[in-house]
Amino acid sequence: MKRVSFYDQIAKNRRNSALLSLAVFSILLSLVYSISSIFAPGLSLGFLALATPTVLAYAYLTYNYGDGIVLAATRARRVDEGDPRYVHLVNVVEGLSIAAGIPKPKIYLIESDEMNAFATGKDPAHASIAVTTGLLRGLRRDELEGVIGHEISHVRNYDIRFATLVAVMVGLVAILSDMFLRSLWYAPRGERRGRRDLGPLILVGILLAIFAPIAVRLVQAAISRRREFLADASSVELTRYPPGLANALEKIMKANKGDMKVSEAISHLFFVDPTRSPLDGLYATHPDIRERIRILRSM
Amino acid sequence: MPWSWILVAAMALVALIAVAILVYSMNRIIVLSNRIDNAWSQIDVQLKKRADLVPNLVETVRGYMKHEEKAIEMVTKARENMMRATDVKSRAEAEGELARALKTIFAIAENYPNLRASENFKLLQEQLEGIEGKIAYARQFYNDSVLNFNNAITTIPGRWFAGIVGKAKTREFFEIPEAEREPVKVRF
Repeated sequence: MKRVSFYDQIAKNRRNSALLSLAVFSILLSLVYSISSIFAPGLSLGFLALATPTVLAYAYLTYNYGDGIVLAATRARRVDEGDPRYVHLVNVVEGLSIAAGIPKPKIYLIESDEMNAFATGKDPAHASIAVTTGLLRGLRRDELEGVIGHEISHVRNYDIRFATLVAVMVGLVAILSDMFLRSLWYAPRGERRGRRDLGPLILVGILLAIFAPIAVRLVQAAISRRREFLADASSVELTRYPPGLANALEKIMKANKGDMKVSEAISHLFFVDPTRSPLDGLYATHPDIRERIRILRSM
Repeated sequence: MPWSWILVAAMALVALIAVAILVYSMNRIIVLSNRIDNAWSQIDVQLKKRADLVPNLVETVRGYMKHEEKAIEMVTKARENMMRATDVKSRAEAEGELARALKTIFAIAENYPNLRASENFKLLQEQLEGIEGKIAYARQFYNDSVLNFNNAITTIPGRWFAGIVGKAKTREFFEIPEAEREPVKVRF
């Protein structure tokens, strides 16, 4: 069997992630362009010029305050770092941040029997890592190091910022296409008749509005799936011990029921998919755990 | 004379690219070199933290281990040597000595169930274990930084400019002293 070097894995995942993020941006702007060319032809370039900074500003504001929202939404509470019960967690996080050469992130705890973790923040200097109490109870030290190494890698690679940006864009595309569809529905009949010459364009606009959110969701899923593989590889780069993470994944696969109460919007931030749904085959934001274990075992 | 203009423009472009590469790789070499120094001080921070825990550990252990004065003595002495050490070499030797002395203490502690059950000891053990891990990670980061730096100044284009910023010399990797690689010998 061919051995996968984690350096190769990192290089490949980085390239693909960059391509996909460009695709999200193009979809968003082409959506704005088609909608505006239907309602205000001739002004559509102006709309595009207006929309680009608006999209960027919206994203900027959200990722600056997004980590607080995510932490509140998961009811995570800050760990008291002097508490003897959590010394080993604090030590593991601190050790791996030293290995990655980043400042130690803030540490949070989520009260849940499910085994899971996530990282958020805008950059390594403003990052937070949250783990569930179930994870803390269920894993040995080397396994916990594997999981924390995975989250630290998300922080170091700026995945945490990227994930937030993508989530924000997904939200925006959904709102825009919804607005567009509604405006068609409720537009006065006379006005619609007056624009009959724009028929084909409206059709294109409607199709875009319907399919863009789906396409964006698929892209989001593909991005985060790739990022998970990359973070697994980087975690091994930090711990130099693939079995730790592989064993952790095996334990989690057996123990988790997939019934965590978290919003779909943030589920892609988690270490493993916090909720199981029938749409997972199409929309899964996480790679199959068995596939992740297989790659780790081949390192 | 359109041809001469094209020639001038092309030369200007080449010059611009050359300057950009020069500035980028010179900055990169300096950043990578600073990272090594930072990584080195990270190791130092953890070593100091470990030394600071020693008096606390000795205090806790003494009450339980009545007949192990020698082992306790070893830890205290290693720490004193470390504090006294002035040059890098004797400092490194004392570090190794302290690491081995601590391992011996924890190995002996296995025979003292009351000690192992004490909350204070458990916490100290976790803290020292955590620091050992951090020291190992700090050394790993140091070696990674050295590797990145050495690669940058020995490959093109970095090797052309490393001399200009006075960083042409490759840095040395951190190697674990021979003594620390030996397994711990426990005498009972």
